[in-house]
Amino acid sequence: MPILKFTRNLERFYPGLSPVESSKTSLQEIINEANDIYPGIKDYILDEQSRLRKHIHIFIGNQMIHDRNHLPDNLNPDDEVYIMQALSGG
Amino acid sequence: MDTQFSKAELERYSRHLIIPEFNIEGQRKLKESKVLVVGSGGLGSPLLLYLTAAGVGTIGIVDFDTVDESNLQRQVLFTVDDIGKSKSKTAAQKLKRLNPHVEFHVYDTQLTSENALEIIRDYDVIADGTDNFPTRYLVNDACVILGKPNVYASIFRFEGQVSVFNHLLPDGSRGPNYRDLFPEPPPPGLVPSCAEGGVLGVLPGIIGSLQANEVIKIVTCIGEPLTGRLFLFDAFSFETRTVNITKDPDTKEITKLIDYAEFCGLNNLSQKTEENMVKEITVQELASLKENGSDYQLIDVREPYERQIASIEGELVPLAQIMSFVDNIARDKKVIIYCRSGSRSAQAVLQLEKQNGFDNLYNLKGGILAWANEIDPTVAKY
Repeated sequence: MPILKFTRNLERFYPGLSPVESSKTSLQEIINEANDIYPGIKDYILDEQSRLRKHIHIFIGNQMIHDRNHLPDNLNPDDEVYIMQALSGG
Repeated sequence: MDTQFSKAELERYSRHLIIPEFNIEGQRKLKESKVLVVGSGGLGSPLLLYLTAAGVGTIGIVDFDTVDESNLQRQVLFTVDDIGKSKSKTAAQKLKRLNPHVEFHVYDTQLTSENALEIIRDYDVIADGTDNFPTRYLVNDACVILGKPNVYASIFRFEGQVSVFNHLLPDGSRGPNYRDLFPEPPPPGLVPSCAEGGVLGVLPGIIGSLQANEVIKIVTCIGEPLTGRLFLFDAFSFETRTVNITKDPDTKEITKLIDYAEFCGLNNLSQKTEENMVKEITVQELASLKENGSDYQLIDVREPYERQIASIEGELVPLAQIMSFVDNIARDKKVIIYCRSGSRSAQAVLQLEKQNGFDNLYNLKGGILAWANEIDPTVAKY
């Protein structure tokens, strides 16, 4: 089953945030499933038009997703999806 | 004429010279190179130490900040004696003692859209160790305009990121840049700085050293630079991952520098946001309420671990949980909400006013930091 993992710093907003293992087969579906477990996390990741927010990126395996606006990606059972965001600290 | 080395230099760099892939050619390239380090704090400290020790010929240091006591937990270039002094000047003085063969150029000024191109133009490689989004986008854009590689790193709490942006590829094109990864910054306040959210002291040592490694590889043309890839490190779990990044065809061409404070939503004018329009109460007014025994509710929206560092009492309800605390918030008396600096508490007031119609909420202006500065110096500042 695909697994969705998050950058640790999102725990600040979603205490107890853990990887989400899912039977879903698309990126959009797995984000929706994560939102059921962590209400509001979808709004943090996607904007009002369901586009990826511009300070966030998603990787499937080691590959960056290419369509930030539509998130059309399908997932294979062994895919690991990783959601991360920009950090400013130096 | 080939760059020559003195006997002292040959002895100093001997451990480089005997690496077959590096040898005296690598050392010569280092000596001939000019590297600009933007920010001499957490990342900048190890970065500068290793670039200096390695023998980069000319190092520029940009930093307008002064050394603060809270820097010493991670900014290993500085000591107690340096508190209050210019970071860039102090760094150069110390580094000169580490390696007198290196030439330092100090820019004790803020990098801005007005001076960035002029400063960056003279250097071969730029290393971004800044601590804020406006400067990160400024460094990126200036590097793209001038065709310079940008060795990037950033940190927060336990996590670090490293990449090489805008690097010249064998086909003559440039690799992805910061905007291909993050086209725009987060809204102000959403992603905190290390000053606001904290950072593990050793983390910039790890990440800044990786950044120095990439600078040295680029300058000496050895190994495989981290171009088109992003290295992610989580010190908490010791998980690492290296992901591939590519150019985003939707990214607009960068042709000129802009107002980066405005771009990041931080301009004075644009700061007149809703967050700034919430009702406020000063620390002096709160002190009077306390002294007079007035009836009010005080809510602390920081995290429990922050409460252990410093407290002015009140009910502890971290910002992420404030909406589930609504039923416990009074509507018939003054409710004062505070955090460390007043930013999170302003967000709490806004959310509660918008979603629950409160009209009796006040944000403590300047938060617990203002309380420590103006009312009670025994309260720790963090």
